[in-house]
Parts: sequence; structure tokens; C-alpha cells
Amino acid sequence: MRGEHESLTTLTSSQDPSGQGVIHYSDDPRDAGWVRQNIPCQTACPAGTNVPAYIRAIAEGRHGQAYEINREANVLPGVLGRICSRPCESACRHGWSGNGDPVGICHLKRSAADIKDASHRITERLYAPTGKKVAVVGAGPAGVAAAHDLSLLGHDVVIFEREERPGGMLRYGIPEFRLPRNMLDIELHNALRLGVQLRTGTAVGAGKGAVRVSTLLADFDAVLLATGCMAPTALPLRGIPDGENLSRHCQDVEYGLDFLMEIHRGQNKRVGRRVAVVGAGFTALDCARVARRLGGQEVTIHLRTSEEYIPVTSEELFETKREGIRIKGLRTPVGLRTDENGRLTGVEFVQNRLGGWRENGRRLATPIEGSEFVEPCDTLIIAIGQRTVNDFLDMRVEVNRSGNVRVAENGMTSVHGLFAAGDYVGGASTAIEAIGHARQIADKIDTWLVGRKRRQVVRMEPVAAPPREPAHDFIPRQHMPTIPLQDRQQLTREVECGYNRDLAGEEAKRCYLCDLRYQIDVNRCIYCRACIEVAPRNCIKLVSDVEMKADGTHGTLQETKEWQRVAAIWIDNNECIRCGACFKVCPVRCISITRNHFVTVDG
Amino acid sequence: MNASVSSSTSRRYVIIGNGVAGNQAAELLRDRDPDSRITILTNSRLLYYNRYLLPQLFKGEQSWQAFLANPAEHYVKRRIQVRRDSRVVSVDTRNKLIKLAHNETIGYDSLLVATGGVSHLPEELADCRKMFHSFGSYEAAMATRKALPEKGTVVLLGGDMIGLDLARTLLAVECRVILVTHESTFWPHKLTAEERADALATLEKMGIELIDGEARGGVVSVQQGASGLPARRVVFRQGGDLYGDVVMSFYGLTPLVEFMVGTGIDIERGLLVNTNLRTSDPSIYAAGDVCQIWSEQENIYRFYYGYQNVRAMGAVAAINMTGGHEHFATTQEETLGRDSQGFIDSPFWSYQ
Repeated sequence: MRGEHESLTTLTSSQDPSGQGVIHYSDDPRDAGWVRQNIPCQTACPAGTNVPAYIRAIAEGRHGQAYEINREANVLPGVLGRICSRPCESACRHGWSGNGDPVGICHLKRSAADIKDASHRITERLYAPTGKKVAVVGAGPAGVAAAHDLSLLGHDVVIFEREERPGGMLRYGIPEFRLPRNMLDIELHNALRLGVQLRTGTAVGAGKGAVRVSTLLADFDAVLLATGCMAPTALPLRGIPDGENLSRHCQDVEYGLDFLMEIHRGQNKRVGRRVAVVGAGFTALDCARVARRLGGQEVTIHLRTSEEYIPVTSEELFETKREGIRIKGLRTPVGLRTDENGRLTGVEFVQNRLGGWRENGRRLATPIEGSEFVEPCDTLIIAIGQRTVNDFLDMRVEVNRSGNVRVAENGMTSVHGLFAAGDYVGGASTAIEAIGHARQIADKIDTWLVGRKRRQVVRMEPVAAPPREPAHDFIPRQHMPTIPLQDRQQLTREVECGYNRDLAGEEAKRCYLCDLRYQIDVNRCIYCRACIEVAPRNCIKLVSDVEMKADGTHGTLQETKEWQRVAAIWIDNNECIRCGACFKVCPVRCISITRNHFVTVDG
Repeated sequence: MNASVSSSTSRRYVIIGNGVAGNQAAELLRDRDPDSRITILTNSRLLYYNRYLLPQLFKGEQSWQAFLANPAEHYVKRRIQVRRDSRVVSVDTRNKLIKLAHNETIGYDSLLVATGGVSHLPEELADCRKMFHSFGSYEAAMATRKALPEKGTVVLLGGDMIGLDLARTLLAVECRVILVTHESTFWPHKLTAEERADALATLEKMGIELIDGEARGGVVSVQQGASGLPARRVVFRQGGDLYGDVVMSFYGLTPLVEFMVGTGIDIERGLLVNTNLRTSDPSIYAAGDVCQIWSEQENIYRFYYGYQNVRAMGAVAAINMTGGHEHFATTQEETLGRDSQGFIDSPFWSYQ
């Protein structure tokens, strides 16, 4: 369901309405490979968001259009524009060595949501009703994204949610100072208003009063489990048996997930003067920032490794530190210290060395024997991860070694008609990963229900002239405005202010527009080298051979300086920053530009 | 540089940083490997100069030549190439290449990172960065000197030993010195509550005016002073403010490691090294305020500050880069003392 929907009949070449040339649609794997290789932000986005297209729309002042382009891949742009983990920015070509800082893709996403007209008209492409009924368990990002897509595909969808309000971790796990609830409410409403029934306060499980999964399977044509990872990962501590509730052992200790969920359910929470937070992800940072707002005077985040290796954005880390929260690395908690009344007085840590690398790219930490030390504190919040729970199932479902449910290629579990999506399948991840996975599963459910299939082709649109100015390369990344520190005492006051129209426009200009493909027609090239001479980088090369891989991407370029061996003059897209200098200088106009992106077609 | 030593077979040592550790290492590298190529890369436009003497700027000495540790001829004679105004932006450890801000790349066989640290500014004050006067380099200290009127008021935030060293000079030239205390006051000395109280009383006796920063919730911002008042206004979290002609941050040092982030080299706050001063990459060493050294005694990675330590680290790194197996062991006194007048005296102020 990513990208534009085109009918099969348009899969021929068509005249570009702008009169610039002929638009081609290609299912050649080389063209698909080019898109995957050359638009790193889109490839890195688990939902496949067409980043260059929406940034170009922002640069042209079309924020509503930018919002719609986002929404084709992700139904919650205003939400993700605030809390996304930004894998796109880590991949952004502008952030590659020597190119400066990555484009503020996430901030731009938010700006599209913030700046678009209040009366903005949402576009949805509806399929005819199928008469099929799908139950979705869980109204978190995965459940909502899947429900939205399934309803577009013509199915009748009912979401079952145990909490009183939809949103899952977005509502109950993320503080309001990062994600205002009015934005969440609007986008959830937009996602579900095409006829999705939302039954909140309705638990699915084996307990009393709960709806059983087996009942859902009997009443619906398909059931999708999207319950996420709603149990905290336990921290093994000396003297505390496995499985024992830490909060019962000491009232000053609790898990970060519970801490945040209770606050967002409306409970009053208190913390001591000295708060220790153990963990390295967004939840740990959120807990620390909440604790600070609840009156914690000395709030410290304790890491097993060090700041460089934690999976949060540098801006989030910076804002956390700005709020006076300290970060200490290379330590693992091993025990608690309590007084005679059982109140927490400190946490015992062991010093770590950095170890090797885990399979997921994270660093390992190796505890050093005999290096224990104690950090005094009054409250301990543990936020070292989350896991799935399966005890709500009233049937046997196959799980993998991690305890996560196993799904087949078609998205189905070992139970006929029972599908699963998001963190419930892959373990704790990010909102954008959950959304991306859920949309894939929704597509597979549709295929399973009614036999329809969709596929991606590459749309190639001619571009008359380079749309970027060379001066755009020198625009620095625009800083996200934030509220002053003295105003950060409330849990509900949003910290980031968002780009205004001017900031968004400037930041949008920075995008290299990697979807532009510059190609040299070697049959027309006169090898004058003018393009090589104006190239700002080593991006145009004389090559004797180019390695083409099976997936359509190209590998090593065999460069040569001997004229008799030159087989082509080649634009190295790993170096090209889409400045257009080569296009402008070419005396025989043998360089062409096309805009390339995926579109989804039926069939 | 003598062309004869630029043969492709000679070993290339690159030192990033032009301070005590880097220069000490360069001298030893030259002694131990006469045929090698040695390059020092530095952000500074000046050759190696004595930063410990910078307070003298406020006593009237303003010629940069007076601060140089060695004349330029020394480097020619020793065949040590010093690349000034050369900011390193990244290190490609796989291909052993250093990338400079102007896109030049320089290869190395063995690399020493000796970039030291910069004055730490707490993140909560990052928005006010432009309001601070700096003391981290000759150029910055000169700019601060120019901004300070005769017998003007200087507000020192934090008050580490670098700042307190400057405070002594400022008092000597009859400036008013106000110190806003913080947990980093007296850094890198580690004092007990009793020792700290005693040392603070001594500062007052020396003529420094003390403001209890912690009692006021810390400094929340530094702003432009209003018309007719001194140039800077320091605002406290729990209300109240104070004015000064110059406001300087002395909250300790932050290791300069930004360009090493993403290289795969182990970093916590500084570059993590063993007692041979080798990082997790066998061809890269670190010395000085930029590195955290494993301490077998304390079972932690820790910083070692002070001229003696830093100089010793430069020497140990050079020995090990040329095939030795030397371990770093500190000889630096770390106790905060008193001078003959009863005023505080720190071994970290000594550069002998």
C-alpha cells in the first residue's frame, strides 16, 4: 500500500501533464535497485516513506501535499514527526562524511502536519467493500495502521483495546511534553474514521469478562494480534528471586513502563530527591525527564555502555541533559541497598568494560569482577526493555526462542486465520517499525482474504532542469526551537516548538533530492570532460566496467585513466549530491534527469 | 620538511593536538625513529604555546611570541611538520586516513590523539554559549582581555582549578572576582565536605566573592546586561541575578573526541585506553586530557590531569608507538594545598 496507487492500465508510458516528457513505469529490477540504493532515507524508513517527495513539497510551500505524501506510508505523520527514532536521518546522504549534517527529515515531517491548512482535505483511495470482517487486537501504532489499511481495502474492521483510550504506547508510554495528546487524538481519529469500530476498555484474553481470541476467530474472517510489548524486561538483582515483583520488594523501585503507564492513566506518582534510571532507550530518557518534572533534584541515567552507543537521537539526549539530567556510563546494576525500613538508599553497580558487538549492532558491556560500587538514590526506575506476553491467548500458538509469536510468509501464525503484526512479532522496536510492519501484514491479510495482490513498480518522470541551487549545500541544519528551561516543569507542556514556515523552507532546501537520477547518454557524449571539470566532488568517472548486481544495484566501478579503455563516463551516485552542475555545463545535452519513486499497482 | 625523509618506506606518525602531550610525543618519536615522518595537526593558528601562562595576558603581556614553547625553527630542525589551522573532522580507521575540514585526507601508520579537552558548558546553558567569554586558547583569552574593563568584574561559573588560577591573576590586577559555586568548584580535586568548606573560606580570604550557586538552584541563563549596567547578567533558577563585565564558565573539561565518534574506537567520555595508552584500535593511541586510562587499582577508567601526567602520557605513547611496552603510572600530586600566605595552591597549576 506504499506510494501512489495506480491501476494496471496506466502501467504504460504516459505523457507528463507538465509537458516535460514521457513518464515511464518500470518493473525492471535494475530500476527498483536504483531506487533502493540511491534514496537511502526512504530505504531506511520501515514504512518506506517517500522522503524526497514530501521535502520537495515543503520547499515549494505545499505543506498539505507533503502531509498527504507522508500519510500514504504512515497514517500518523504529526505523531511520528515528534517521536520517530529517525532511521532515515542516520542514512541521509547529507550526513555522509564530508557532506555535513543530515537533513532534519523528522522535523520537516512535523512541519507538514503543523503548517498545513486547518481545513486540509485528506485523500484516501478506497476499494469497494469486500464483506469480510477483521478483528484487530490492540490500538497501538501497529493496530491502528493495520486497521486503517484494512478498512481502505474494503474490509469491516473492529479494534479491541483494553485501555480506555486508543494509542497504545503512544498514549501511555510517551510523555505529553514530547507528544501532545491533541495531535495524537486528531491523527488517530483520521486513521479510524473510515468505518473502523473501536471498542476500548475491552480486554482480549482468557480472564473473566475478557473476549477470547477463539471467539474472535469464530466471529471474524481474520484476526490480527497487535498487542505490542507491554511487559517490562526484568532486571536480575542480587538477593531477589527471578520473577519477583521488584516494587513489592522495595516500594521505591519500579519499572519504567509501569511508571509511565500509571502516570498516563492519571495516577499521581512521586519520586525521591535522588532518582536513578537504568536503561539506554527512549523510555529511560522519558522516565528521567518525567522524574525531573515530578521533583527529582538529582536525576541520573546509568548506562551499561556509553552515550555513543545508545539508540536515541542526539537531540533527545541533548534536551535530556539540558534539563539537568546526568548520564553515567559503563556500569550494570547488581543489587539494591535499603535501610532498616526497607526504603531504598542506593543501587549497587559493577563497573563495565566495553565488549564486542551484538548482532543488532549494539555494543556489549563486560562486567569487571570485584569492581562493585554504590550510588546513593531514593528512587530507582528500571527501563531496560520490554517484552511480549502471550498469556491472553486461549489457544496454543507457536512461538520462537525469544517467546515472540512465529508468523509465516503470509503473516499468519500457526493458527489458521490468526495474524500478528508489530512489536508483538518482532519484539520491542519503534513506532515507525511497528507501523511499517503492520501495513505489510494488512496487505497480506487482504491477499489471504480476497486473493488480491499488489506490487511495486518504479515511476520515472522526466525533469527539465536541476531543481536545486548550489547555494543550498551551504545551508546549515536548522535548529529545532524549544521552550525555555524554566517552562519545563509541567508534564504536559510540549518542549519542541516545531519549525515555522521559514525554518521549514530553509531546511527543506538542504535535501539533495536523491530521487533525481542523473544519467549520461554515452551514445551522445563527446567525452569533452566539461562535466568532470565542474563536478564539486569525485562524482563523474571514466570507467572501463561497472559491476551490476542481481538486485539491480551496482557495485564496484572500474575506473580508468586510459582513453582506449574508457567504456563509459559514469555518474557515481554514491558521490553525486544532485547539484546539477554537470547538467548545466554539458554542451550536447546528453545528461538527463528523471525523478524516480516507487508506486504500488494492483496485480 | 627534508625531502630525504619523505620516502614511502618511512613510518608516518600523525599526532592530532598541539599541546603538552602531543609535543612531548613528537620529540620522543623523532628521537626513537629518526627516519619517520611526523605530522602534528592542530586547530590552532599558533605553534605550541604554554597555556599555563595565559593568565599573564591579564597582567599586560600580550605578544603571542612570548607564549611559544619553541621557535618555528625547532620544528624544521627536528623535521616535525606542524599543520596549523587544520581541523580534523573524521578518522577512517579501516583505511588509516584522517579527514580534514577542507576535505584533505592524510594517511597514517600510527596515530596519537592528544586533543585535550575544552571548557565544559553544561547543556542547560548551551543556548547562552555566545554570552560567555572564553579562556581556552590564546585568541580567546585575548578577546576576553579586551572585553574586560580595568578593575572590571569577572563572574566565574563553576570554578575549576583552571578558573581559580585565572582568578588569582585577576585579583592581582584589582579586578572584582565573583565565583558562583557548583559541584565542579575545585575540579579536578576531589574534596570532602569539610575540605571544601575550608577551601571556600580560603577563597574568600583571598578576596574572591562567593555566591552559593547550588543554593540558588544553579545558573539558568546568562544574558546581555541592560543599558547602563555591566555587559552580562547571570540569572539563577530560584530567582535573583548578578552582573559582571565578563562571565566565564569553569565547569571542568570535556574531552575533544567528536571527530572519533563513529570510528568504532571505544569511547565513554574520553577515548578509552589501557595503561599502554593504546585505544581499542592497535594503531591508535591517546594521551592527555582526551583519554580515560584503565586503573587496575580503582577498577575504573579515569582521567589523569596535570602537566606532569600529560607530559608523561605523551612520552609513554611515543615509546609504545615505536615498539616499546611502557605503562603509564601517575606521579602527579593531586592534593589541594596551601601556600606560604595560607592561600590555596594546586599542583595542577604547576607546569614544571
